[in-house]
Amino acid sequence: MEDKKITPQESMAIISSMIDASKQRVAMPDLRISIMWASLTIVTAAVVLALSLTAYAPWVNFIWFAIPVIGFPAMMLMVRKNDNRKGVKTYVDKISDGIWRIVSSIAILVTVICIVFQAAGYYGAWLSMLFYAFIVVGFGAAIQGIVIEERSYVFGGMFSAIIGFAVMALSFCGVSLSVVWAIPLYILCFLLMFIVPAFIISRRYNRKSVSE
Amino acid sequence: MKELDPLLHSQLRLAVMSILMNVEEADFVFLREKTESTAGNLSVQLDKLSSAGYITVEKGFCGKKPRTVCRITNDGRVAFESYVETLKQYLNL
Repeated sequence: MEDKKITPQESMAIISSMIDASKQRVAMPDLRISIMWASLTIVTAAVVLALSLTAYAPWVNFIWFAIPVIGFPAMMLMVRKNDNRKGVKTYVDKISDGIWRIVSSIAILVTVICIVFQAAGYYGAWLSMLFYAFIVVGFGAAIQGIVIEERSYVFGGMFSAIIGFAVMALSFCGVSLSVVWAIPLYILCFLLMFIVPAFIISRRYNRKSVSE
Repeated sequence: MKELDPLLHSQLRLAVMSILMNVEEADFVFLREKTESTAGNLSVQLDKLSSAGYITVEKGFCGKKPRTVCRITNDGRVAFESYVETLKQYLNL
């Protein structure tokens, strides 16, 4: 393409072809970061569950810290690689980034609150992290689904948020949360919120790529 | 009939503006690939659009690699929309 004068017809053709060219990128949202967080959360939860059932000891709960300790550096690395690879950021990317930035900020603040409560002797405060994961992350996933027009995300997010409120209600009613059912539920929610939608989207995208 | 904006009525500048209208931001490499232009020519045209206030050009680094990111401004958006409206009149659309 050069810097040459064009006819109105050529102008219209250029505008159409450039819109098409930039649309191709939007067709496949980059889901690797959310898959990384979801996989890390599921694996950590599974390890905590296994250790809780076999050799219960209070230190087992420290394994939950593997999520931020491994997740944040991994995310930074992936974001840096992504910037190099894509070269373009769409409005959908901007909104998605915004959603997950808010969800991450809440996670950091809730962690700080839990640490403060623990320092004051209220160890049960860590339970709020569970509600955070069900409700706030679920809400984030549902909004993400609306933004990228993927119903499985909306379903997974809503499912998780509703489960979160049900678990919270049980807790308020004095039912003690057992790792035997709470952690598998937590794993199920992350599978439905992130892994299943990512699988559906990549399958649809691959099918579309083959047909084109 | 209104005259087409001469700054936009050029093959490469129009292509760049069409892409930037559609995305939040795009880097130099992406624009060069999509417009199939040379780096030198693209750089000159980006300077012209930037001087007119139609786009912003931000030079930075991604890791150790230099990265130039372009974004359309509100003025650029208005100019592009006005250009398309005038174009429609020319084409009787």
